[in-house]
Amino acid sequence: MIAIVMRKELATTLRDGRLLVLGLSLFVLFAGFFLFSSYQLQAQRLEKQRVGATAKEQWNSQSVKNPHAAAHYGIYVFKPDLPSAAIDPGLTPFTGQSLWLEPHKRNLTRFNPSADDVLANRFGQASSSFVLYALLPLLIVALSFNSVSQERERGTLRMLHSLGVAPRALLFGKLLGLLTAFWLVMSPAVLLAALTLAGQFELAIDDLLRLSLLLAGLLAYYTVFAALSIGASAYFRTSRNTLFCLLGFWMGSVFVAPRLGAAIGDVLAPNPSASQFWDAIKTDIAQGLPGDGSKQQRETAFEAQVLAQYGVASKEQLPVGFVSLNRQYNDVYSSKVHQLHFDRLRANFATQQQLAHLAGWLGPSLALRSLSMAIAGTDLAHQRDFEDAAEEYRRYFIDLTEDWDRERSHGTERSAKGAETDWRSVRDFAYTVPTVGFSLKASLLPLAVLGAWLGAALWLLAHSARRLAP
Amino acid sequence: MTTTHILETRNLVVEYQQHRAIDQLNLAVPAGCVYALLGGNGAGKTTTISTFLGFNRPSSGQVLIGGRSLQDQPELVKSELAYLPENVALYDLLSGAENLRFFCALAGIELGREQTGRLLSDSGLQADAHDKRVGQYSKGMRQKVGLAIASAKHAKAMLLDEPTSGLDPSAANDFAQRIRAAADGGMAVLMATHDLFNAKQVADRIGIMKQGRLVEEFDAHSVQHDELESKYLAHARGLA
Ligand SMILES: Nc1ncnc2c1ncn2[C@@H]1O[C@H](COP(=O)(O)OP(=O)(O)OP(=O)(O)O)[C@@H](O)[C@H]1O
Ligand SMILES: [Mg+2]
Repeated sequence: MIAIVMRKELATTLRDGRLLVLGLSLFVLFAGFFLFSSYQLQAQRLEKQRVGATAKEQWNSQSVKNPHAAAHYGIYVFKPDLPSAAIDPGLTPFTGQSLWLEPHKRNLTRFNPSADDVLANRFGQASSSFVLYALLPLLIVALSFNSVSQERERGTLRMLHSLGVAPRALLFGKLLGLLTAFWLVMSPAVLLAALTLAGQFELAIDDLLRLSLLLAGLLAYYTVFAALSIGASAYFRTSRNTLFCLLGFWMGSVFVAPRLGAAIGDVLAPNPSASQFWDAIKTDIAQGLPGDGSKQQRETAFEAQVLAQYGVASKEQLPVGFVSLNRQYNDVYSSKVHQLHFDRLRANFATQQQLAHLAGWLGPSLALRSLSMAIAGTDLAHQRDFEDAAEEYRRYFIDLTEDWDRERSHGTERSAKGAETDWRSVRDFAYTVPTVGFSLKASLLPLAVLGAWLGAALWLLAHSARRLAP
Repeated sequence: MTTTHILETRNLVVEYQQHRAIDQLNLAVPAGCVYALLGGNGAGKTTTISTFLGFNRPSSGQVLIGGRSLQDQPELVKSELAYLPENVALYDLLSGAENLRFFCALAGIELGREQTGRLLSDSGLQADAHDKRVGQYSKGMRQKVGLAIASAKHAKAMLLDEPTSGLDPSAANDFAQRIRAAADGGMAVLMATHDLFNAKQVADRIGIMKQGRLVEEFDAHSVQHDELESKYLAHARGLA
């Protein structure tokens, strides 16, 4: 029975001019945005590769100099992009893509104390993802808000009743027919995206997995809208009421929920301002974390410990360079303080993101966006993973320069030198984006919200069958 | 129990909120009989038909189809009924043939191409219209698709609500003959109509309803046309 209704629904939806006209215009819109952003992504990837290689080469070809002076020359590293970022640029426009690695301090790709603004602003942006998350659900609503009320008004519902059609079979047949027609019309867009990505990038298995997951997420998302739309059409007596109600839901889901979610996160877990953040780090380094003593006290204690360790009376008699040793000691402490504050800030961002899902009862759009950003590798979790790898690399090459500085000097002299062979021996920053499993792990909450919406929408659809009584 | 009665109501009462639309109705249509239900606007004809189809729930009394209670076996019973309202509701974006196949498939009957064509032609739809979208059909053409659905279902009974209103005289006449033929093939037909001429022409029995009650019932062959008209008007004016 469901299959019969589905076939008929598919045929009528495809013949209905609405789908072709709206579908075609959205396709053109999507294709335009997508081609532009994938072209941009491609250019950006090449640019990052080029600048990254140049920066390392400049590092490599430094003249003979003090290793620490060389460290101050610094290295630029870039966050690599996944091909799927062409579909959902996510936070990319708001988070920095490059990181300047230098001694003594840890830089932020970009410190945005109100990343929650980002969460809100990324909606309403004209991009291919806006077509996917905001406009296509609207197309579904436009196609199906009267799918039952029209049958009621035209009398075909009575014909169906007189033939003993089970209301549930009718509604679920309609759902499947609508979704099939929708995907048939959308398949050129999917094909275009797949071909463009395959042509521009070398797609790995992981990329294919990501793209299929994105498609599956979108399928679930559109199913929510389609089921609610058909359910509402069965529930309300007139098409007008159905349309009002569905438009309200769409606006709530696409526009209100993200802003409300951001506001909730902001109120319940406020972020420090940028100056507060950096000041706290400076203070903790100067005054020390509880129990550690001030910088002065720590350095005095360290000097005594080093002298005892080498069995000498003064730093001038040390067989290794004390300047480097002391600097390294301070850097380790500084790293510890930075780590503490960065972790706290990130934990707060994470809390805000989780809290934002409190607005998820307004609609599934926020959850879908979180999920798709994670899958496209353009969310905070991926940003963090990149930053951690960069920090590890920073410590690696700074430590290396300190080793040279310390071992090629002694006492308080600053005579250590390094040459090009040393600089070249610093390995390149080789970072690979984590696999899709990482994205999924980071998206458990949005997955749960989306799943809950899917379940609720199907339940409501089954429930609205009761209102189909003739 | 008289099993020859395909359509039957016993002391049927149907109410809309407070309003009693059908009041103690006793009606019986045997196989092979065309029963014309006459009555002024609001007499309860459509409500009677809707109740047979399960669109309305009786407040009391019984609705029997082929001797079986509608309330007890709604699905089984629906497979034995065909319904033709004044405007046969079809899907405008599908062709006549596709509509027929769809509605029959819902009734559990898979029709092949040839069979579909034959059913439509037998119902009087010209062959070149079979694959045209129903949106372009006239009222009479839609009715023919409705008839084709009824005959494909091998329904035991047909429920018609003002089937000839809006049809031109020759189409109405053609339709009447098809109804007659269906009844002669053993179908029980209940037809609500305002068309006295049509009623006299095809019906075997005629019932006149007023305020939800069957106020008079007689053999169609036993009255002349003018006699029927005066009976009808007498009830309408409250003289009878
Ligand atoms: N859905 C409804 N809700 C409330 N009252 C209704 C409804 N449908 C019909 N009625 C009332 O029930 C009574 C019988 O109506 P019904 O439609 O059965 O009459 P009818 O004989 O078919 O009239 P007509 O010749 O105008 O088609 C009328 O008084 C009408 O107002
Ligand atoms: Mg009526």
